[in-house]
Amino acid sequence: MRKQIQQQIDRIKAAGATYVDARWYPVDEVNNLVMWNGNLKNADTTRESGMGVRVLYKGAWGFCASSDLSDIAVIFNQALDNARVAAERVTFPVHLAEKDIIQARFESPCQIDPFSISLSEKVAFMKKMDERLNQSGVEQRFATMTFMRKQIVFMDSEGSQIEKQITEVFAGMQVSGRDDQGMTQERSYRLNRQGDTRGWESINPQVFEENADRIVREMQQVVAAEDCPKEDRAVILLPGIMFLQTHETIGHALELDRILGYELAFAGGSFVTLADFGKLRYGSPKLTARADGTLINSPGSFGYDDDGVPAQNTVLIDKGILVGAITGRQMVEEANVKARRQIFNGSGGANRATSFYRVPIERMTNINIDPGEDGTLDDIVRNTEKGIILDGDRSWSIGSNREQFHFANEIGWLVEDGQVTKVVKNPTYKGSTVPFWNSLSAVGDRSTWSVQFVDNCGKGQPSQIMQLGHGVPVCRFDNVRIGE
Amino acid sequence: MKERILQTLKSLRAYAVEKGLQVSLLYHEEESALMRFANSAISLNTNEHIVRLEITAYRGSQRAMYELITEPGKLDDMKKGIDTVAELAALAQPLSYTPTIPHYKADFIDEQGYDEALAKLSNEEKLAFFNQASAGLETDDLKLSGIFSSGTNIWAMVSTNSEFCQFFKTSDAGVTVVLAHATLKWEVQAEQSAQKKAELNAEKLHRDLAFLVERYQKETPQQLPLGSYDIVLGHAAIAEIVRFLGFIGFSGGALKRGFACLNEEKIGQKVFSDKLTIVDDPSYLQTFPLKRDFIGMERKAFPVVEKGVFKAFTWVQDDADEFGMTPTGHTVPAYSVVVSGGDHEVTSLEELVGQPRDTDLLYIPFLHYMNLVNPSKGIITGSSRFGALLLKKDGSVVVPYNVRLTQSMLDIFGDKVAWVSQKTEAYNVSSSYGARNPNAVVVPLFMRVNDLEISHSNSSY
Ligand SMILES: [Zn+2]
Repeated sequence: MRKQIQQQIDRIKAAGATYVDARWYPVDEVNNLVMWNGNLKNADTTRESGMGVRVLYKGAWGFCASSDLSDIAVIFNQALDNARVAAERVTFPVHLAEKDIIQARFESPCQIDPFSISLSEKVAFMKKMDERLNQSGVEQRFATMTFMRKQIVFMDSEGSQIEKQITEVFAGMQVSGRDDQGMTQERSYRLNRQGDTRGWESINPQVFEENADRIVREMQQVVAAEDCPKEDRAVILLPGIMFLQTHETIGHALELDRILGYELAFAGGSFVTLADFGKLRYGSPKLTARADGTLINSPGSFGYDDDGVPAQNTVLIDKGILVGAITGRQMVEEANVKARRQIFNGSGGANRATSFYRVPIERMTNINIDPGEDGTLDDIVRNTEKGIILDGDRSWSIGSNREQFHFANEIGWLVEDGQVTKVVKNPTYKGSTVPFWNSLSAVGDRSTWSVQFVDNCGKGQPSQIMQLGHGVPVCRFDNVRIGE
Repeated sequence: MKERILQTLKSLRAYAVEKGLQVSLLYHEEESALMRFANSAISLNTNEHIVRLEITAYRGSQRAMYELITEPGKLDDMKKGIDTVAELAALAQPLSYTPTIPHYKADFIDEQGYDEALAKLSNEEKLAFFNQASAGLETDDLKLSGIFSSGTNIWAMVSTNSEFCQFFKTSDAGVTVVLAHATLKWEVQAEQSAQKKAELNAEKLHRDLAFLVERYQKETPQQLPLGSYDIVLGHAAIAEIVRFLGFIGFSGGALKRGFACLNEEKIGQKVFSDKLTIVDDPSYLQTFPLKRDFIGMERKAFPVVEKGVFKAFTWVQDDADEFGMTPTGHTVPAYSVVVSGGDHEVTSLEELVGQPRDTDLLYIPFLHYMNLVNPSKGIITGSSRFGALLLKKDGSVVVPYNVRLTQSMLDIFGDKVAWVSQKTEAYNVSSSYGARNPNAVVVPLFMRVNDLEISHSNSSY
C-alpha cells in the first residue's frame, strides 16, 4: 500500500499540486462499554479503515476520504478536483511553513494492550465498580470505559513518512440522587493520568474504589445541602473544573485558526488579535500556560501531528503575557504575513484530524498551567477570607469569541475566614475571560497539579471529536459572580 | 446501489442464520460533500464516501455491538464481524431485561426524500450559489464564511427474525452564510435547509444578509444594561431550545434516569403556553424523516405538546424494554419535530423591524453554545450571536453586543410567550459527528417571549 500511495502522491504532484499528503489508517478501533444501574447498556466495538488525502493546488485545499481502498487513485483525483475548484476562490494562498523531512515511528506508552483483555474481564471490573457505587441515596449509577487503538501511516510529497501507533484508555463513573425538591444532583469521577503509561494498567481498582466512595459521599452531601448563594466570592477551582476553564478560555481562544477567522461559520472566533501577541496581559503574573505535546503519557501527546511536525512544548502565556498560540503549518505563515512581523517560528505541531475521513485542523495538545508557589489546597483555603471551592463540570457555555463564560459545577464548599464551612448545591460561576484570568490570585504547588484527560473536544465542519489533556493546579480567582 | 446493499444484507443474514445466531444488521452509507468558506475564500473542499455496518448480536438478555467502516465489497470482513460480535455477546453480562430484536414484517423501501439533483450538485454549482448569496456584500473588512454541506444518506436494515429489509435514502443540504467584520468582529448570518434542489434559494439568503449588514454597518454597537427584556427569538434560537427540550423534556429514558424537567404527573397538564404545539411528524419531508423506526414500527404524527398541554413521553425500544414501557416508534437517529405556527403575521426580519411595537424588543436570532445548567429545572444557558437587534419602541434600531440568557425552558416556552409567528420554516440541525445524520426541525420564524432576564452583557464582540 505504501508504494501505491507514493505513486499517487507523485502523480498528483506532477499534475500541478504544490503539496500532497495521505493518511492511511490500516486500523482504528474503539471499544466502548457503558454500565447503567448494573446493566451493560453498551458493549460496542468499532473498527474503521480507510484513507484521507489532502491536496494543495494554487494555494487552495482539496480533501477526499474513503473507506473504499479498491482503487485509491479515485480518492487522489477527487481531492485534486476539489482543490481545483477551491482555487477559484482564494484570498490568501495557503503557504506551508518549513519543516524537517522525517522518517519516524511513534508509539504511545502502553504496557498492557487493552484490546488483549477479554470483554468478561472488563465487564467484571465494571460490575465491581457498579456494586461499589450502589450505596444509600444513590438513584442512578453510571460507569463507562473507552479503549482506542489506531495505526496511522502518514506520507507526504516532501518525503516524510511517519507511522503512529496510539493507544488510549478513558474511564469514568457518576452517581446521582434527588434532593428534597426532587431535583437531581450528581457527582462524577474521570480517570486522569496515572503514571507514565496508558494501557489497561492505568485501570487501577484501588483508585476507582476510593473515588467511588468519595463521589457517593459527596453526592450525599450535595443532596442534603442548601443552594449556592448568589454573590461575589473568590472561587477556588479544583482540577476537575480547572481543566475545563483552561480548555475553554485559554485552549480554544488560542487556536490560531480561530484567531484568523477560519471557524466563524460555526465554532466561533477569538477575542485575541494578532496585535495582542507579546503585549496582551491575558492573566495575572501568576499565570504561565503552555501547549505541551511532549508531556509523557497523555492523549495530547502523539509524537508527530498530521502535518508531520514533531511535538513541541510551546509557552502560550508567560507570567500573564500572551506569547504563543496553538498552531499548524498553514496558519503560522498566514499570521506572520498578516501581522507584518514574525510572531511564530514555524508550526507548533498541533494540526490533527480525528479520523481518516476528516481533515487536520488546529487542535489542543496538552494545554497546561504551570504549578505555582501558593502551597497546597489547604494553604490556599487558609489564606482565603470569603470563597467557594468548586469541582465537577456539570455545564459549560462560552461566548463565540471565548470572551465570556458560564460554568455549572457538581459541588461547592463555602470558605469563610480560612475554613471550609459547608457544602452547597447547584453552584455556578461566570465571568469575562481576560478580567477573570487577571483576578488569578493563587496557584497551587505541584501537589495540587494533575493531568486531566478530555475525550470529547468538538470542533470543525464536518465535526470532529478530539482527545487531549490538561495538566492543571488548583487555582484561586478573586471577586467572581457565583450562583447565577 | 439499492440492490447491491440489500443483497449484501441478505447474504450476511443468511450467514448468521446458518450459524444459528441472532443478529440485527444496520447498514449506513454516506456520500458527503462540504464546501467550507472562511476569509472570503474556500478554506476547505471535501468529499467523504463512508460505508458502515453495525452488527448487534443477541443471546437472550446478552447483547453486544460491532461497527465496521469498510469497503462495500468486503463481504468476508463483514462476516468476520458477525463472528466477532457473536463471541462478544456470549461474554457480555446479561441485562436485567430481554432486549427486543427488530422484526420487520414486510419490506419497506423509502426513497421519497431523495433528490438526485441535490445529491449530485457539482462543485461549480455550489460555488456559484455562494457567490450569488454574498454578491456585493463582501468588502476588505467584511469577510465571507460559511458552509455548503450536501450529500446522500442511506440506512438499510435486516435481522435474523425475518427476511424483510428496510431501506431509506435521502438527500440533504444545509447552507450557512456568515459575514463577519475582520476588525470590529460583529457577524451576521443566514441559513437554509434543503431536501431538494428546488428549495435552495440564494436570493433569499442574500436578502436576509443584506438587511442585517446594512443595520450593522450603520449603527454603533452598544452594551445592553442587564435586566428584563421582551425578547423575540428567531427560528435558529427556537430550534436550539426545542432540540434541548428533546433531550430532557419528552424523552422517557431521560425521565427514568433523573434528567428530565417533566415527569409523569405532568402528562395531560398545561405545562407550556397554550400557543405552543409540538408534534413529531414524519410526514414533513423537510425534516428528513424516517417513516418506520429501526425496530420496524410505523412512525405516525406523535403529539408531544398540544396547546401547552404535555401529551406524552417518547420511548425508544431499549428504554421501553428496560423500564417496562410501550415503545412509541422513536428508535430513530432523530425525530421529525414540528412546532406549529401561531397567529402573528410576520414573514421576515425586515417586516418584524418595521412593525409598530408597544415596547422595546430584543431580537435574538441564534443562541451560541447552549448547555444544560440544571436538567431537573430545565435551565439552559447560551449567548446571542449572528445579528441580534434591539428594536426600540420609537421605531429605531440599536445594534447590541452579545448577551447571555440563562433561563428555564419551562419559562421560555411558558406563559411569557406573547405571540408565535404564523410562518414556520425548516431549520437544519444535522449532525456530522461520526456518521452523517440529516435532520431538520420545523419551527416558527419568530416567537415573542416577554420579561426574560439577561444575565450577562458583553462590552465588546
Ligand atoms: Zn473543546
